[in-house]
Amino acid sequence: MDYLGLTEYILTREDQKLRGAVGAFLQKQGLRLEEGVDYTYALVDGKELVATGSLEKNVIKCVAVRQDYQNMGLTNKVISQLVYAAHKGGKEHLFIYTKPGNLQIFTDLGFYKIMALADKVVLLENKRDGIRDFVRQIKQKACFEGRASAVVVNCNPFTLGHQYLIEQAAEESEFLYVLVVSEDKSVFPADVRLKLVQEGTDHLKNILVQETGSYLISSATFPSYFLKEESVAVSSHAALDLEIFANYFAPILNISRRYVGEEPYCSLTNVYNEKMKVILPSYGIVVREIPRREAVQQAISASWVRGLLKENRLEEVKALVPETTYRFLMTEEGRHIIDKLKGLRPML
Amino acid sequence: MEIKGSAMAGTLESSDASIVVAPNADKGIVIDLISSVEKQFGEDIRRTVKQVLKELDVEDAIVKIQDRGALDCVIRARLQTAVLRAANGKSFDWEGQRHV
Repeated sequence: MDYLGLTEYILTREDQKLRGAVGAFLQKQGLRLEEGVDYTYALVDGKELVATGSLEKNVIKCVAVRQDYQNMGLTNKVISQLVYAAHKGGKEHLFIYTKPGNLQIFTDLGFYKIMALADKVVLLENKRDGIRDFVRQIKQKACFEGRASAVVVNCNPFTLGHQYLIEQAAEESEFLYVLVVSEDKSVFPADVRLKLVQEGTDHLKNILVQETGSYLISSATFPSYFLKEESVAVSSHAALDLEIFANYFAPILNISRRYVGEEPYCSLTNVYNEKMKVILPSYGIVVREIPRREAVQQAISASWVRGLLKENRLEEVKALVPETTYRFLMTEEGRHIIDKLKGLRPML
Repeated sequence: MEIKGSAMAGTLESSDASIVVAPNADKGIVIDLISSVEKQFGEDIRRTVKQVLKELDVEDAIVKIQDRGALDCVIRARLQTAVLRAANGKSFDWEGQRHV
């Protein structure tokens, strides 16, 4: 928009002053500059901010154009810049998180709607049938046609509790999809978590362990999950994630039951589970909550295990995790993660 | 030219086109076109894309175009740039390329 004489700014995390200005600008538009954002683009007219947009990994968010500068093609300029920046960083598969009112603007720019929650949020991606193709690939690997069950787990790291949940679910089901969260925001990296689930469930024959990709509990579908803070957004994010599960995963994989572990500790997960019990049954999917397996009269949880690792109480950890996980913790890679937990190495 | 990676050129602004060129594991040329003037000029754009790829000796590629009403010369320029970037090319024979 050179004819408007606007100045371009690209903000880094360190640029606190401009970040403050962007934050204030977004607030006026009923948005906020989210914590995890790692690239922000802004257009300034003289001294005033008139348009902005941000990138968090592969998710475009916090896009806003001041009312009196709308319909001048500024959104296109902002999105172009963000798509280009993402592409340069090797990210081609992009998502946009926005208000339903903006749906048309973004579909015109080549994005496809995944899911909309009336008057709250809409999620789009830049791949035609991206999510359908993703779920169909899982289906192909399963080679199973009947009614199946599913469980979605993070496993940071894989404990006897997770193993118990999966064993219970597998026993009650003809076939079980175990979907491991792909988002790399946990201490244990995604590939390690996936590997530990695979190794720890190798004895079960009627299951398929797969990654969730960007489509379940990811920074695209459930941004607040990784902030671990309670906000009003949590409940609508949770709803979006569950609607995606119910509208894509469940019909394509023929899932009639979703298993979940009881959540005695984490209130955010609790909100998600409660929401699940409301949304999924309305699609005819049964939610089965399995009580946690206990050790020394305490429910086993991954956060408990991480706490023990932090204090180097490895003998106690041994009683809470499968042998496969314990063996991993003893490797160099495992030691490295324990050091990270102890704060001896910087967290990623 | 062999497409080695994925590369992008152009913008989503009016009268421009955003073009991504990526390798095609299944061989051949795949054109994925989204255009605000698809009905009027969709076929012309496809023809231009095929011609430019032929001129640059590209046999296998996925070309994703989001066209915002770009002129033919703009589409040519954006596509040439994207192909060159995707092929990791350093130099480009601008003169010799239109000997059709």
